[in-house]
Parts: sequence; C-alpha cells; structure tokens
Amino acid sequence: MRPSFFHHLHPPTIPTEQARWRHTLGAGGTAVFLMLILGMTGILEMFYYIPTPEEAALSVQTITYHVPFGGFIRNLHYWSAQLLLIVSAVHLLRVVFTAAYKSPRRFNYLLGLALFILAILLDFTGYILRWDVDICYPLLTGTNLLKTVPFIGDFLHRLAIGGGEACTNGLLRMYVWHIFGLTLPVIILGIWHAFRVRRDGGIAVPPPQVRTDNARISRNELVRREVLAMFIVGIALILLSIFVPAPIAAAMTEGTTLAGEAKAPWFFLWVQEMLKWGDPFIFGILLPLGILALIALIPYIFPKPADSDIGKWFPKSNRLAQITIGLVSFIVILLTLLANAN
Amino acid sequence: MTQISRRDFLKLAREGFLYLSAALATGSLLRFLSYAPASEQKTEFDLGSVDNYPVGSRTSIPEIPALLIHAESGFTALSLTCTHLGCTLEPNNNGFACPCHNSAFDAEGNVTQGPAVKPLRSLRIQITDENTIIAYTD
Repeated sequence: MRPSFFHHLHPPTIPTEQARWRHTLGAGGTAVFLMLILGMTGILEMFYYIPTPEEAALSVQTITYHVPFGGFIRNLHYWSAQLLLIVSAVHLLRVVFTAAYKSPRRFNYLLGLALFILAILLDFTGYILRWDVDICYPLLTGTNLLKTVPFIGDFLHRLAIGGGEACTNGLLRMYVWHIFGLTLPVIILGIWHAFRVRRDGGIAVPPPQVRTDNARISRNELVRREVLAMFIVGIALILLSIFVPAPIAAAMTEGTTLAGEAKAPWFFLWVQEMLKWGDPFIFGILLPLGILALIALIPYIFPKPADSDIGKWFPKSNRLAQITIGLVSFIVILLTLLANAN
Repeated sequence: MTQISRRDFLKLAREGFLYLSAALATGSLLRFLSYAPASEQKTEFDLGSVDNYPVGSRTSIPEIPALLIHAESGFTALSLTCTHLGCTLEPNNNGFACPCHNSAFDAEGNVTQGPAVKPLRSLRIQITDENTIIAYTD
C-alpha cells in the first residue's frame, strides 16, 4: 500500500520498545494535537473578538453567551491551552527521566524548551485578552516586573505593552503578541522540533550494537496509535468543555480596574509566591531565569548518560539530571500550592 | 603584512555585509517596537471643595488611587499604589495591606512588612483660590 500524506509524515518503522505508551506517554504527539485545536478555535474566536479596551470583554461575553457554540469553542480553546502546559511539562520530564536528551538530540532539547516557554507566554497573553477585572493585577505586576530589569527594563516594558498604564493601554500589544508575535515562532520552532526528531534518528534509543530488542513497528501501527490518542484526548476535551466553563469576570469599567482577583493565573502562582520574599528583580526574574538556565544546561554540563541507557526510564547514569528536574518540579508544585492556599 | 587571497577577501566581505545587515535590521526592528507615544495619563485630579473634607478626615480617592488626609496641620495625600509592583493597597486597622504580595504599610505610609522597601509616595496638593483641592500624581 502506498502511504497517504498523513502516513508519509511518519518514519517507515520505529523501535517497538520506545513506541510504547509507557515509554512516550504520548505527550509530544498530544501537544501537537492540542496546538492544532488551539489554532483552529483561536481563528474562530478572532471572528468575534474586538481588541479594544472598551469592547474586548464585551466581545468575549458575546462569544461565550450569544454566538451559537461560541462558549463551547472558547472552552475548547481554554482547556486545550491549560492541557498543553501540562502535557509539555510531562514531555520534558519524560525526556529527562529517559535520558533522551543526549547528543545528537541536545539542540532539539533546547528547541523544545523554547516551545515550552512560548506556550507559557501564549497562555498568559491569552488570559490577558479576557480584559475583565480579574486580569488587571497580573498584567500590572507582570509588566512592572519587566521594569525592574536593570538598563533595559523600560525598553522591555514598551516592547511588551507599548508603555503607559498596563490596564488601560496594554491590550493591543497583548493581542498582537498572542495571535502573531508568539504564535509565529511556535509554528516555526514546532515544525523545526518535529523535523529534528526525524533528523536525529527518531525517538531516542540505544545505538544498534547495545540494543537488546530490535523489533520495530510500521508507520501504519504508529498512525493507528496516534489516532487513538487524539480520539481519547478529543473526548476528554469535549467533556471538559461541556461541563467546566472557562473563567470569565465582569468587564473593566472606570473605577473597577483595580478591584479584581489578586492571584496570578495558575501557571505563574509559583512566581507570585516567590515575589513575596523580597526584591522583585531577584525573585521574579533572576530566579526563574536561573531555573530555566539550569534545565537548559542539563544536556551540556551534567554527567553524560551511558549509550545503553538512552530511552530507558530512570537509568543510573543520569541520576543527577533526574534529581535536579525532579527537585525543580517539586518546588514549583509546592510554591503553587502554597500561593493557592493564601 | 599577511596576504589575503581574493577568495578569502570576498568571503569576509560577504559575511561582514550579511551580519551587518542583520544587526541593523534587528536594531531597527527593536527601535520600531519600543516606541511609546506621549503619555495621555491623567496626572491632575480635582478633588472638589475643601469643605467636603473636615479636619481629622481620611478620605479614599479610588480614581488616583490615594488617601486624602486632613490633619490639624493641613492637607496631605498618600498614594495607595504599592511601591513593590503597583497593586492598589487596601486599608485595614493598622494601615494598608497589599493584596498581591502581602506588603504592609502603617497609617503614615511606612513599610511594616516586605517585600516592599520604599514608603508610600506623598502626592503634591494644591488648594486653589476657589478653595478646591487639586492632587498631582507626577
């Protein structure tokens, strides 16, 4: 059978051992699926969304309450975005815990990390686009945080929201960053990331001479599994979107601007908690960037995993990397719970 | 002096030209994106007649946001914008508290609990000939 276009995007065969669910967790593929849904539902939202401070929140209400299936489309967009962050984090953890980042995949590891950061920024800018009372403090503190960077703080602030008061004139830039400035890099880096997976020899496995199991599955089987994963995630998304609506609050009007929720969106709660500790530049910028740098350096400065350990869960030879990323995850989750409790 | 071959010279010139163009384009793009139009932010607030604020009163002015204090010695205004990252402070029994990162200030605007380090800003107050109060945030 000649492969269809969709089949053709996949390698002819891949190693059986590493194609198992319990190895990949289906995380990378699910992330691609979620991004496709985000693109489609996002474009649909653009038919109604009006990026002006006066009408933004009202147009979100129109989408949510008046447009047929509008609330459903918006919920799908919201839940895909939240799931994307979780799935991306799981993907990153899987790659470290199975020593899959080892050269020649080091560069692709960085591409993936950049995609993760972009996804977080996209989630934040998308949240800001609601432009209701609850988004003001996170936008204000987030952009004031940029101002604390020595020398280039004001420049970063203008780059992000065009200067001025965040909650009165930050919307247009947030909109353009969301639909174009951050999305375009995600498309480019995403395609590059997928291309590098193929170029680096597919999913990470030990080299042939140290491999214990040489069985392989065909692309037909791989596609069958992918369709199954899409089906399961799709059902979960539809159920979530039917039963759990995306958050929405009253529109900002004169005087209500600063009366909203003082809590950051869930994926930034850990940063909000650290900001309580002291100097905003140190705890809000340097520390998160330091953690990011540490994660980025794992393939470069940590002890190299053994060839025979690549693609195996929790191998001994990259223990330090596992402990590091495990500790970072634990601390981030702990801070998130702490911030949520107060 | 070391000789440089025509091939190497052309390669150097080509690459130099390319990198220079890229640097110029990036610089231009960043300058383009970092333009900020002149601020239209209101910095002058008419608070109405002096008679509305009797001696001893402490009145919250949410639109600034600030607290207008009329003491025996005259009018003062305390900015209610947190000096940490700009959230609006909420008054409590001991002074003011920030809902975002738990900074606290006493009634005079001094920091009683971090992460804020700077005291609250005092706003410039002017009383016009018609006895109305103007507060300036700049």
